[in-house]
Amino acid sequence: MDSESARKIMIVGLPNSGKSQVFNNLTGEYTVVANSPLTTIQLKRTRCRIGNQICEIIDTPGLHGLYVHSEEELVVRDAIFSDRPDVIIQCMDANRLKQSLTLAADLLTLSLPMIISLNALDETSRKGIWIDSEGLSRLLGVPVVESMAIYGQGTRELKGLLEKARRAMVKVRYGDVIDDGLLTMGAELRDDFPYNYTASLLMLRKDPFIMGQLAKTYGDLKVKSIQKEADEIRGRFRGNINRFIIGKRNRWIDDVTEKVIKKQKIAPREFSQRVAGLSRHPVYGLPILLMVIYAMFYLVVNVANVLSEWMTAMLWTPVETLITRVFPSGFWHELCIGEYGVLSLGLANALLTVLPILGVFFLLFNTLEDIGYIPNLSVMTNRVLNKLGLSGNAILPLVLGFGCKTMAVLTTRTLRSKRERNIVVFLIAFSIPCAAQLGLNMSILGMMGAGSFIIAFSVLAFIGVAAGMGLNMILKGEEKIPFIQELPAIRFPRPMPVLKKTYYRLYWFLKESLLVFVYAALALFTADRLGILDAVKRGLSPVIEGVLGLPLAMTDAIILCFARREAGAGFMINLVRNGEMDYIQSIVAVVITTTFAPCFATVMAMGKELGARRTLMMMVAIGISALVVSGSLRWILITIR
Amino acid sequence: MKNKRKDKEEYLERLWELKEAGSESLDDFMRAVKDDYDPELLDSLTSDGLVELDEKEKRIKLTAGGADQARKIIRAHRIGERLIFDIFGGDFETAACEFEHTVTAELVDGICTLLGHPGECPHGMPIPKGECCRSKASTAHKQVVPLKDLEIGQTARVAYINTKDDRQMHNLDDLQVRPRSVVKLHQKYPCYVVECEGAHIALDEEIVSSICVWSDNEPNESDKSELLEFGRKHRKRRGLDFLFGRKR
Repeated sequence: MDSESARKIMIVGLPNSGKSQVFNNLTGEYTVVANSPLTTIQLKRTRCRIGNQICEIIDTPGLHGLYVHSEEELVVRDAIFSDRPDVIIQCMDANRLKQSLTLAADLLTLSLPMIISLNALDETSRKGIWIDSEGLSRLLGVPVVESMAIYGQGTRELKGLLEKARRAMVKVRYGDVIDDGLLTMGAELRDDFPYNYTASLLMLRKDPFIMGQLAKTYGDLKVKSIQKEADEIRGRFRGNINRFIIGKRNRWIDDVTEKVIKKQKIAPREFSQRVAGLSRHPVYGLPILLMVIYAMFYLVVNVANVLSEWMTAMLWTPVETLITRVFPSGFWHELCIGEYGVLSLGLANALLTVLPILGVFFLLFNTLEDIGYIPNLSVMTNRVLNKLGLSGNAILPLVLGFGCKTMAVLTTRTLRSKRERNIVVFLIAFSIPCAAQLGLNMSILGMMGAGSFIIAFSVLAFIGVAAGMGLNMILKGEEKIPFIQELPAIRFPRPMPVLKKTYYRLYWFLKESLLVFVYAALALFTADRLGILDAVKRGLSPVIEGVLGLPLAMTDAIILCFARREAGAGFMINLVRNGEMDYIQSIVAVVITTTFAPCFATVMAMGKELGARRTLMMMVAIGISALVVSGSLRWILITIR
Repeated sequence: MKNKRKDKEEYLERLWELKEAGSESLDDFMRAVKDDYDPELLDSLTSDGLVELDEKEKRIKLTAGGADQARKIIRAHRIGERLIFDIFGGDFETAACEFEHTVTAELVDGICTLLGHPGECPHGMPIPKGECCRSKASTAHKQVVPLKDLEIGQTARVAYINTKDDRQMHNLDDLQVRPRSVVKLHQKYPCYVVECEGAHIALDEEIVSSICVWSDNEPNESDKSELLEFGRKHRKRRGLDFLFGRKR
C-alpha cells in the first residue's frame, strides 16, 4: 500500500461526539471510546480497505470551530491544512445540533467533500426530538447519514457514501462587503492554498495563528498584502466584525435548525437527567460518590480477590506441584517457581493475581465511564480546586488521572495557564492512583478491612490537597481563567460496549506488560543470584525497615513498581497473603507505592509536557515528599495504636 | 437649525469613534465623514469649544466638553441599538419598521411600563390602554437580569453577554450560549450548571454573572406543574419589585 493511492478520510467533530466510535466502526480496530470529552488527545491514523479503495482514516481530538485561541486547539486545524484530506466526516451529536452546526459552518468553508454522520439519534428520539436528516442534507449541501454509532448502525451507509461524497458548496453569507472582500482576499492565495476562503475568513476575524501559519509557507510579503486587504475591509465595516460574523452565523444556524428540528412539547422526564442532577448535587453528590467508591471496593474485594485466589488454587497449585516433583530444589526450581521465578513472579503474578483484579475493576470503571459519571464530578470539586489555586478547567485532567496517569498528563496541555499545568501534573504524578493501581490497592487493603482503605485513601486525598496548597503558595499567581466545562450527558451503561472495552483494556494490559513481568522477574532473579539485590536491600534497609517499617522484601515491590505498577502491586498482594505484612505495614506500603514515583510511561509523558529539567525536579520532590509522608504516617499510626 | 444640530452630533459621534480607534488625524476624520465634510461646521464646533483643530499638523480631537457631549450621544445611540438588537435579534437596520409586527403584547407592556404608561403618541393620538396600565404596574414584566439571579429550574432566553474578552465570548458561542439561546439553570452550588441547546455546561460565578437573560420567560411545560410555576412567578416578581424600588 503506497501512501499516494490511499484516500485520506478525516473524522472531525465536537468533543464527545462519537468520533472514535465511528473510527472503530470504519476500521474494525479498537480505540478507547468513553462518554467524556478529552478521550482522544492525539491524532490517530490507520489504513483499511473500504469498498475497492484503500483508505487512511484519521481520528482527531474534539474541535469546536476552525477559529482557535490556543496552540492545543490548533492540532486539528493544522492536520486539516497540512494533510489535506480527501473527505471529511463530521460527527454530529444530534443532541447538540446547534453546536455541531457552528463547526459545520466552518468546515463547509473548506469546500472539501464532506459527509455528516448524524449520531446518537436513539437519544434524541427518546427525548421527543425529530431531526429531518434529508432536509439537513439539502440545506447543507452534503450527504447526511443517520447513525447510532455505538451500536454500529449507519456504518454501512457511511461506507457506501464515502465514494459519493461531494464538494461542499453551501456557505454562510455575511453580506456584500464581507463576501466580496473574502473573494478578493482569497484570490491572492488561490493557486497556492486550497483553503483560501477559510484562511481569508480567519484573517478577517484576526485569528491569532493564521498569519504565522501562512507566512511560513507563502512568505511574509504575500501575507502582508492580504492582511492589508483584511484591514481595509474591517475599516469599511463599522463595529466589531467578529461579533457581526458570529451573529450572522448564529442566524444561519437558527434558520437551519428551525427547518429541520421538530420537538414534541411534552417529553418524558428523563431518569438519567435525575441521576445527573443528583450526582452533582451539593448535598447528595458526596454520599453518592462515597457509595460508588464503596461499591467498587466491595466488589473488588469480594469478587476479584476470591476469583484470584480460586484461580491460584485451581491453576497454579498443580503447576507448582508438578515442577517441584521434577526439580525438587536447586537452580531450575528457583528460576521457575522460586521467590523471583519466571513463572511465579512473572506469569502467575500477571495472570492469576493481577489479571482477575483488573478484570473486575475495569468492568466497573468502564461502566462508570460509559455512564459519564466521572466528568460530572467536576461540578462537585470546583470549589475545592479553587482553594488549590486551580480553575475548574483543571478538574478533568485530574479526574482522568484515575483512569490512566499517562493520558491525564497529556491532557494537561489543554490548560492555558502554565502554573496550573505544573500543579496538575504534580498532583497527578504524586497523589492520584491510576485505575489499575486503584483496583489493586483496593484488593490489598481489602484483605486488611475497609478501615485500612479509608485511612490510606484519606491520606492520599489529604496530601493531594496539601501539595496543591503548597504549590499554590510557591508558584507565582497568574490571572484567573474563567471556568467553562461542557458535561457529558449521563447515559445508561450499555453492556456490549462496556464488555468490549474491558476486553481490550485487559488485552492491552497483557500485550504491553506480560513480557515486562517476565523480564522484571528475570532481572530480579539475576540480581539476586549475583548478590546485587542483597547489597541494594542492605543499602536501603535503613529507609525501608527503619523509616517505613516495611519488610525488606518490599524493596522488590518498589523496584517492580518502576517497571510496571501492576507487577509491584501483584508482588505486594502475595506478601499480604503470606502474612508478611500487618495492618499498618499494608497501609504504608500502599501509600509509598502510590506516591513514590509514577510509572515509566507517565515520566515520559511528563517529560514531553514539561521538559526534562522540570520533570527531574518534580521527580525528586515527589520522591522526597513520598518518603516523608509515608514515614510520618507510619509513626502516627503506631503512636495512635 | 435642527438639522444643523443633528449634523454637529454626527460629527461628534465620528470624532468619538476616532478617539476609540486611537486616531487624531484629520485625514481619518475626513475619510469617516466622506461627502458630508463641511469646514464651516467644524469651525462652529471649534468656536463652541467642543473640538480642537490644528490645521498645520492636520490633527483634530475632542475637547473635554466635546467628549462629554459626544459620550451622551453615543450612549443614546448605542442603547437604542442595543434595545432593538436584543429584541429583534441582530438586524437593527431594518428592525424599526418591523417593530409593530414583531413585538409581543408582553413586550409592549414592558416598554409601556418603562415609559411610565404614556397616554398619547407623539402625534397626539390616544394610545389604547394595556393590561399594565390598568394594573398600574411599576415594574416591567420582562426584564433583563443576570443569569445567576434566576431560580433553579427556570428557563430564560439570553439577552446579551457582558464580556470584553473576545476569547470568552467565543468559548461561550462555541457552546451556543449567545443572545437568543434558551438556557435553563440547573444548579447554583458548588458551581453553576446550565443547560443550553441540549448540552449541560458547568460555569463559575464570574461567567454566569456576565450572562444576562430575559427573566420571566415562558415556563417550561414539561418541567413543573402550572401551580408551582405560578407560585414561582409571583415570588419572582416581588423580588424584582424590591430590586426596582431600591434602585429608584
